[in-house]
Amino acid sequence: METAVSAGIIGIGLGAQYALLSLGFTLIYGILGVINFSHGGFYMLGGYVAFAVVSKLGLPYPVAVIAATLGCAGLGALFELLVLERHIDDHLATMMLTMGLYLVMGTVLVLAFGTEPVEFHSPVSGVWRSGRIYVPYANLVVLCACLAAIAGIYVLLYKSNLGRALRALADDRPVATALGLPPKILFPAAFGVATGLAGFTGALVTPILSLHPHIGDSILTISFMIVILGGLGSVVGAAVAAFVVGLVEAYSSIYLGGSIGALTLFLLVLATLVVRSTGLFGRQVRAA
Amino acid sequence: MARLYCAAMVASVLALTQICSDANAQECEAKVGVVGPMSGGAALWGISARNGTEIAASEYNQAGGLPMGGKKCKVVVVSYDSKYSAEGAAAAANNLASQDVSVIVGPLGSPEATGIKPVAERNKQVTMNVVYAKDAIGPQWPLAFHAVPGPGAWAKPVVKMAKEKFDLKSIVVVAPNDQGGTDTATVAVDTYRGEGIDTKEEYYQRGTTNFAPIVARIMRSDPTAIDLCTSPPGDAATLVKQLLEAGFKGIFGRLGGAATNEIIRAAGGIESLGNFYWLESVNVDPARLEAIVSAQKGLGQSPGDSTVVAIFAASGRLAMKAISNAGTSSDGVKVAQELRKLPLDDPWLAKGDWTGMSAYGIRQEFGFPVGMGLIVNGKNLGVTPISVADQ
Amino acid sequence: MRIKVSSVARAFEFVGRGEVATIVVLALAFVVPFTTSSPLVFSLTNQILIATIAAFSVYIMLRMDLLSFALPAFMALGGYAIAVAAKAGITNLVALLLISFAVPALVALPLGSLVLRLRGTYFVLVTFAFNEVLQLLLFEMPAITGGSNGIAGVPASTFLGMVLSSNQAVLFVTCVIGVLAAIITAGVTAFYRREFAAISENETLATSLGLVTRRYKTIGLAVSTGVAGLAGFALVNMLLTAHPSSFSTLSGFSYIVFAIVGGRASMMGPLLGAAVLTTATLFFSSKGEYSPALYGMLVIAVVMLARNGIAGIRLPSLGRPHVEPRADAQLFKRAGNTT
Repeated sequence: METAVSAGIIGIGLGAQYALLSLGFTLIYGILGVINFSHGGFYMLGGYVAFAVVSKLGLPYPVAVIAATLGCAGLGALFELLVLERHIDDHLATMMLTMGLYLVMGTVLVLAFGTEPVEFHSPVSGVWRSGRIYVPYANLVVLCACLAAIAGIYVLLYKSNLGRALRALADDRPVATALGLPPKILFPAAFGVATGLAGFTGALVTPILSLHPHIGDSILTISFMIVILGGLGSVVGAAVAAFVVGLVEAYSSIYLGGSIGALTLFLLVLATLVVRSTGLFGRQVRAA
Repeated sequence: MARLYCAAMVASVLALTQICSDANAQECEAKVGVVGPMSGGAALWGISARNGTEIAASEYNQAGGLPMGGKKCKVVVVSYDSKYSAEGAAAAANNLASQDVSVIVGPLGSPEATGIKPVAERNKQVTMNVVYAKDAIGPQWPLAFHAVPGPGAWAKPVVKMAKEKFDLKSIVVVAPNDQGGTDTATVAVDTYRGEGIDTKEEYYQRGTTNFAPIVARIMRSDPTAIDLCTSPPGDAATLVKQLLEAGFKGIFGRLGGAATNEIIRAAGGIESLGNFYWLESVNVDPARLEAIVSAQKGLGQSPGDSTVVAIFAASGRLAMKAISNAGTSSDGVKVAQELRKLPLDDPWLAKGDWTGMSAYGIRQEFGFPVGMGLIVNGKNLGVTPISVADQ
Repeated sequence: MRIKVSSVARAFEFVGRGEVATIVVLALAFVVPFTTSSPLVFSLTNQILIATIAAFSVYIMLRMDLLSFALPAFMALGGYAIAVAAKAGITNLVALLLISFAVPALVALPLGSLVLRLRGTYFVLVTFAFNEVLQLLLFEMPAITGGSNGIAGVPASTFLGMVLSSNQAVLFVTCVIGVLAAIITAGVTAFYRREFAAISENETLATSLGLVTRRYKTIGLAVSTGVAGLAGFALVNMLLTAHPSSFSTLSGFSYIVFAIVGGRASMMGPLLGAAVLTTATLFFSSKGEYSPALYGMLVIAVVMLARNGIAGIRLPSLGRPHVEPRADAQLFKRAGNTT
């Protein structure tokens, strides 16, 4: 059935985008114990920085994407260093602080770019068709970029010294610190990597959808869902869960309708947690 | 202990400054309130409401003031962000009541109207809401007015005209799954069905950014037309873009608020869009568009949607005229009495009729003409005015 | 003042001065409907009281170190329950109070048995899902809930033959609910202070020492959701409408912010947080598009400057000593940090 294939294609596309987003989210939680309420904000910021670079500075799109990634990474690292660092042990405080940051970011974007969607198109156009099945070329590019980024994160975390240090901190912070790993450098770095990822995703995905200051609100919900489903702190879990969620969303929305589709997704997550209380791949979790 | 008292003091000072700041005015003032969402997804509407009302105020202030009770008084616009929620609007109404504001332009979202009406009734405040709810106004709220014609007034003539221009065999109506969506979608669906068109409705979770699954679902039923209803401009633009990517070659419709420019841009131009019909909540003559833009520039306002600004300028003018005739801006009942007597003749919106009896049971709707825009086979045929009368 | 308070405190073993002070302050709110007629003061007091009750609900769960984002869902259950009841003819104030408390609590009991097994952040995020599910259910069941339009025109409550529909009466009802919620909150947190503290400090250890943590967590959850239902009643009563937009996830965040920014150590915390932040929100609303940023900066400022919330700013003369930061954080303070 053509619809089923279309659903699968759409689901995988969604999954790749969600994977990038939730990787950043689970990194911050796993290593710093922070629930980052401003995740959606960095996604939007990435989109807007890329838009500004392309439309105001006239630079090519790939440069814009890099600029967005670095910009978000820098801002994130700075925020962690100046604001979060002092309260890093108090999970509720960090939640409040990132929430405050999100509100400020949203307002700044509204003041700078207005409340309405801005015109930000992907440089790639055209659609591949076969019967009723279709894939816009821009979506293919985004999919490839997402997979490349996921691979890049994997290499960073599992094959580099920085990654090893971050994983050590995530595993057992007191011991890692006692062994000499400097949290003052590594924490901002970790936060920066995650927010940079969010910015990268924003810069990639918003041209194929739309860019306005309210797209960040739903990013948080979906990142939460995926990260719980996959298991907190588990990078593999987040990636797998992202594709599961993408496919479930695609199939349930197409066959059951948008509203009921959303309901199905949430019920699925709840059901999974009842059966397996640490998510698909989760480990023992620290208390909130 | 001292710091605890400090915190309490700060809180009460904040509240008191709100009450006292406006009481300091020495000259006579005519106060008009504006309530709308000035942050969040519908912020453009709230801010446009404020801008439009301020334009109306400046027209009187530049002429020396509003004649009220034998004097010429300065028109002061007091605005509150109601955050698209019922209690935000209720709080705004109460806040304005304590500043002696008895005339409110707005609110704009269906939840806001629901929240403000009982409170405004208790406080004896006039409201002029711009919502497409089935109970936007009613006999149980004698001081509530409807600032634009509702779907009950325009749905039939607009759908009829669409049916004349396009071959509408089947249609899917798409809207978000909250009151802002269902209010208009349900009326649209009934009207299409009444005209013999095979109609389906699709609701999506508000906050959705990627509509590919919804698009796939819509395409399954192969409709000749898709009505984007009151989905916000960002959502509508994405839907159109993704529908075209999916190979939709049919007719687009939008019986909802302003989003035409975004939709045309998302499609990549009028030719790619093909066939499109849309509702203009009120009809603004292209000649008058210039006047609107320059009025905004004159006050240093950031340009918004001209149609939306025009609606609120018109309401603002009516409110101020009624205040002038009543001789006071703090007696809602008196102002309402004068308001009902006013002819609906606006420099930007042309002439209208008082409507609302058949749709709401009370004739308190500003029945200004609406407009229907048409793009046929890649050519923009402009906007045709459609008068509304009590159906 | 001190002598009076300490004699009352002797009556109950664990009721601290914080609890008593909070109840007294809330009782003082009764003065407002009888001494002023400004709609602004009514509206603000109403909003602060509702926010405080909601923050109490969050506070009860926080005593067990559990953070629940499902607050709006249970407020909605309470609010819609009384809306349906009132429209069906049950308008007696006492009956409505019971319904608004009981319905969410009864729903919470079976749900609790499913989700209270979850630890820490999983619990937090699952409650987040609850809320989304409830909003969708409200939409999908228009026959009972009025769908996206909600239930409008809810009749005012009655008591001893009086219809409580005027501005004053509505505020009076809210005050009653406020004091009731405060007494319940004080009661449950005082009565189970030891058990909740044990669960909060180290649940595994508590269980291994024989504490049936499940039972106490369930009690805490049931009471917390009941108090949330009371908040829902107050909200619907103020608006005379049960509308889905009143119970959004965003409002849930706000109530949590009140409780945390106010301070988790004593019952004064939720009250102070609700009072200060609600007033600030009202003030910021007149600044239009700047209001979210102003609010965000205020939250950041308070968290940065006041470690234990607003209530924790002063010397510990009200309420018990504050909850110690987690044991491992204290032992393993990073070098160079002054925490």
